[in-house]
Amino acid sequence: MATAHPVPAKRDYSLFEAELSGAVMNFALLKRLLRWMRPYRATFFLSAGLILIASILQILLPIVISMVGIDYVIGGERDTPAPDLGMIALTDWLAASLDISLLAAACCLYAALQLGWAVTVHAHRMTLVASVIKGLRDLRRDLFAHLETRPYSFYDGVAVGRVMTRVTNDVEALYELLRGLGALVGEFAPFLVALAIMFSVSAELTLILLAALPLLAMATFYFRRATRTLFRQVRLTLSALNQNMQENLAGLQVVHLSRREDYNHKRYTAINERNLGAETRSMRLETAYGAFTDSMASMAIGAVLWFGGGAVIQEQITLGGMVLFTQFISMLFHPIVVLGEQFNVLFRAMASGERIFQALDWDERIHEPEHPAHLPARLRGAVEFRGLTFGYDPAAPVLHDVSLTIAPGEKLAIVGPTGSGKSTLVKLLGRFYDFEDGRIFLDGMDLNRIESRELRRRIGVVLQDFHIFSGTVHDNIALGNPSIDRARATAAARAVNAHDFVSSLPRGDETKLSERGQNLSQGQRQLLAFARVLAADPEILVLDEATASIDTETELLIQDALRKLAAGRTSIIIAHRLQTIQEADRVVVLDGGRVVEVGSHEELLAARGLYHTLHEKQFQEQRPEAG
Amino acid sequence: MIASLMRLRIFVGKYRGRLIGGISAFALARVLEALVPLLLMVGIDRLHAGQSGLAAPALGLVAVVLARFVVVSFARMAVRRAGLLVAFDLRQKLYAHLQSMGPQFFGRYTIGDMMTRAVVDIGLIQRLISHGTILAVVLAFASIVGFAFMVSLSPVLTLLVFPPLPLVFFYAWKASRRAGMASRAVQERLSGLGALTQENLSGIRTIQAMTQEHNEIERFSGANQAYADAFYRQSRIHSEMSAIMPTLAAVCSIAILGYGGNLVLEGEMTVGEFTAFFLYVNMVAQPFRVAGFIVNLFQRAAVASDRLFEVFERDAEIEDAPRGAAPAQIRGDIAIRGLTFTYEGAEKPALQDIELAIARGESIAIMGRVGAGKTTLLKQLVRILDTPSGTAFIDGVDVRDYPLAQLRSQVAMVPQDPFLFGEPLRDNLTYDDPSRGIEPIWQAAEAADFKETVAAMPKRMDTIVGERGVTLSGGQKQRATLARGLIRHAPVLILDDCFSSVDTETETRILAELKRVRRGQTTVLVSHRVATARHADRILVMEDGAIVERGTHEALLAAGGAYAELERIQREGADAADYAAAQATA
Repeated sequence: MATAHPVPAKRDYSLFEAELSGAVMNFALLKRLLRWMRPYRATFFLSAGLILIASILQILLPIVISMVGIDYVIGGERDTPAPDLGMIALTDWLAASLDISLLAAACCLYAALQLGWAVTVHAHRMTLVASVIKGLRDLRRDLFAHLETRPYSFYDGVAVGRVMTRVTNDVEALYELLRGLGALVGEFAPFLVALAIMFSVSAELTLILLAALPLLAMATFYFRRATRTLFRQVRLTLSALNQNMQENLAGLQVVHLSRREDYNHKRYTAINERNLGAETRSMRLETAYGAFTDSMASMAIGAVLWFGGGAVIQEQITLGGMVLFTQFISMLFHPIVVLGEQFNVLFRAMASGERIFQALDWDERIHEPEHPAHLPARLRGAVEFRGLTFGYDPAAPVLHDVSLTIAPGEKLAIVGPTGSGKSTLVKLLGRFYDFEDGRIFLDGMDLNRIESRELRRRIGVVLQDFHIFSGTVHDNIALGNPSIDRARATAAARAVNAHDFVSSLPRGDETKLSERGQNLSQGQRQLLAFARVLAADPEILVLDEATASIDTETELLIQDALRKLAAGRTSIIIAHRLQTIQEADRVVVLDGGRVVEVGSHEELLAARGLYHTLHEKQFQEQRPEAG
Repeated sequence: MIASLMRLRIFVGKYRGRLIGGISAFALARVLEALVPLLLMVGIDRLHAGQSGLAAPALGLVAVVLARFVVVSFARMAVRRAGLLVAFDLRQKLYAHLQSMGPQFFGRYTIGDMMTRAVVDIGLIQRLISHGTILAVVLAFASIVGFAFMVSLSPVLTLLVFPPLPLVFFYAWKASRRAGMASRAVQERLSGLGALTQENLSGIRTIQAMTQEHNEIERFSGANQAYADAFYRQSRIHSEMSAIMPTLAAVCSIAILGYGGNLVLEGEMTVGEFTAFFLYVNMVAQPFRVAGFIVNLFQRAAVASDRLFEVFERDAEIEDAPRGAAPAQIRGDIAIRGLTFTYEGAEKPALQDIELAIARGESIAIMGRVGAGKTTLLKQLVRILDTPSGTAFIDGVDVRDYPLAQLRSQVAMVPQDPFLFGEPLRDNLTYDDPSRGIEPIWQAAEAADFKETVAAMPKRMDTIVGERGVTLSGGQKQRATLARGLIRHAPVLILDDCFSSVDTETETRILAELKRVRRGQTTVLVSHRVATARHADRILVMEDGAIVERGTHEALLAAGGAYAELERIQREGADAADYAAAQATA
């Protein structure tokens, strides 16, 4: 029966830390992104259809002014060389059927088109946003769920901050892209339609105008390239400024005690000056570019007048046609400016996309049995470690051939010097790591045949850095388990001496606890963690006792609570307190990953082995009069 | 609003030259812009009349555009630079000011709040100067110049296009307020999402141990959805604005087309005039669209200004004493006389009528429950709290008479919370004096039993610690901050419960070392362990802000009070009566 799961080779976590540099356009990445949009493609296509209609309406508006208003109604020219796209006929028909003047008909037409445009363009944007936003929402949830279920080994290897920014900043960059995307589509669709019409009005004039486009595009390109470094400097100095201030405030007491106020202010001033310099340089470039694009549009109007003037004289183009051109000019130039604005966003989004998919592709996991065995309704609580050898790095084992049997209901204390493998041993019992060399049995059942989630529900683990969730006290005790009602949670809190401080909180067990329980004292947090475990009522208790010393009063409450918690269930406690050890049925001494001594506190003291030495060192000071 | 913005004048006044120069240049640019439709009109009319001579208007246009490019660039740069400079000055002022704040201030305001003021509020004021002034000038000049030309072309037509403009303005104003609210909602939900993620990932081990992954993913989905909803709402408001605004402005176009077209048909207006008029309306309508945003910009900047001045107007929490008011060298005799201290807003005093004398070279240990007043007492000696006058004396001189810099350099305190800056260990250890050489740093590390730990790190003293660096254990952090206190060899050393996470074996070594290096100097320490306290020359037990027992270890044991009780419990372990007593007092 091959129940051991293969331990994977050590991973290179620096890959996860490395800065990824995204290419501006990475189509494979876009294709993967589109997979999240697929469920919402109907809305997406609707949006595409709407922008087409909106673009046509947007083009028709200046046509009504120039071809219909100026040329036809005012100028009286019907057969202009430029296409009017049926607007003249429509005006005729409107005037005839409503019995109004041509001018009034043109005004009505303009108003109708304007309203139609407003409605369709709004509908387009909202459908676009709705479809993409849902895709991004799903992507973010999937990413979070993926990271949330990575094993301990992953979090041992990477910095939490790095993982966090995948979910926040990187997905955010895609949202940013969405903001820009809407603007880009809205600009480019009318651009193409306008181009087609201008060609049919005057191919010559259009080509002259188009000659300006590469110039603008080039200016935009060089400008963006130049600003990328500058913007980076601005961003870096700005975040350095904020970091410096934040840290200075967080450590203000130390600053005061060390009289560092002036020195720190000088350092801040230096960063502030660097920031001012970077901001000023990028501002100058930005200003020059902005004024340049502004002027390009005016220059183009001049060009139309200059070259177009001749064309009008030669009767190739009408006055209305020329006004139309000037109106279209902004439609031609604006998209390029917008594209320039979105250039950096696009670049960032690509790099972010790469990081997101790298995280999603990170397939490190705890191996689950293919045909899991199920635990009985109530475990007796017998635990056996048999020949267990394990190392986080397989080449450097932390545990060597550990064999240990714990009887149901027994209270076992584990002691040993730092790095002796105490917490590794209990972490393997919760199957937080895969192991293949040796076995662990729970009521005679191979641990590797049990699904880790099912197993963990039956083993209550209290680590040293247990987590307080932001939420109410009750939420923190019940942990979303519907079978733990208020009465049961309160009873648990009462049993572990947590009830007194909970009821002294402003809103009792409905009091919101701040992030990581910072509004509680260390002892109170410990009691709360006890209440949580007691309410869940696991058959086996695993506890890594807190090392920090707290005031004796609270210490007593904790010891008393621990006794109640351990009563009637198998308890494995990494003990740091003399009291805890004395009350244990047996003490196991670990050293260098090996079990070196087992016995009761008195037996081990009498044996004068490692335990005796440890005891002398650690606890003699706790009992100064003894010995 | 005006009053709030006027408070900024001391900051803005410095750069009034730049601002006035920029604004004047803008006026010039607007005049140049107004020439464009005029030149076009000449050109179109000449064309229409079939005249030649288009060179003059076309070349004139090019010249005007070039001149405008130069003038506008100059104006924008001047004004934006002024905005940057004001932001620079505001940041300097805020930073300096916050450094003189203390626990009272940060009891009321959070650091996050101050960061928002530093980033968002200063940013709003910068934007007001950089963009708000430009936009306001654009609005004023475009309206004046545009209207002047329009009136000269056709007064009736001008009257006709006027009514929709206030509507545009009003809508823009309202809408930009909604947009501002929506973007704040997006920001809030985003930071909520970030906080949830951060909290989740740092507590991932507990979450997995308690099989809470699915619950947490559910919780995240809720926050994720809330963010998406806020984002959608924000997009909707923006989309509505950019659909409605041009539609409102189109009312003007229709008015001109109808009425103006009629004038041309009746021969009362030339086609050129008509076209020029058309362009002027756009010129006026455009700024009216931004006017709403400008009003909003001014409003938000006014609030930002109030928020900044709320900080600026708070006096330094601890008043400094002039130099030379006290002897230059502290020897280390401490006297506390009738000290009663109440925190701002608290009902009960934290310290009540404390009397205490500590002789130079003495070592004192303070014990007591959480909230007994131990830390509050220690903070009085370095004036981290505003010590009442005539209550705390060092070498017979009131602590209030020492310049803060001197007091805090000669009375070294290691606070309870082992805070390390995100800098190399070396800089953290010699934080009070960055100019120290490496030798004393290693010595201090050794005295704090931290040397071996550092030596085992690959980058040794250059290891960066703190949030963005190597994570140290609680005990390591405590030893690092202890070294930071020891390096100063101060005549008075105060250790506020800074061995709590250090294991007993290490603590014993540190205490022995302390005894050696602190010989003849005053040391005051707080501890919960009798084993630590008993080494002190004298022990104080505090309860509810008062000293209830004092004496040597032996004397207190003999007295059989609270200290003796603690000693017994820590030595033998507690019995049932102790647990009952603890539960009763909890």
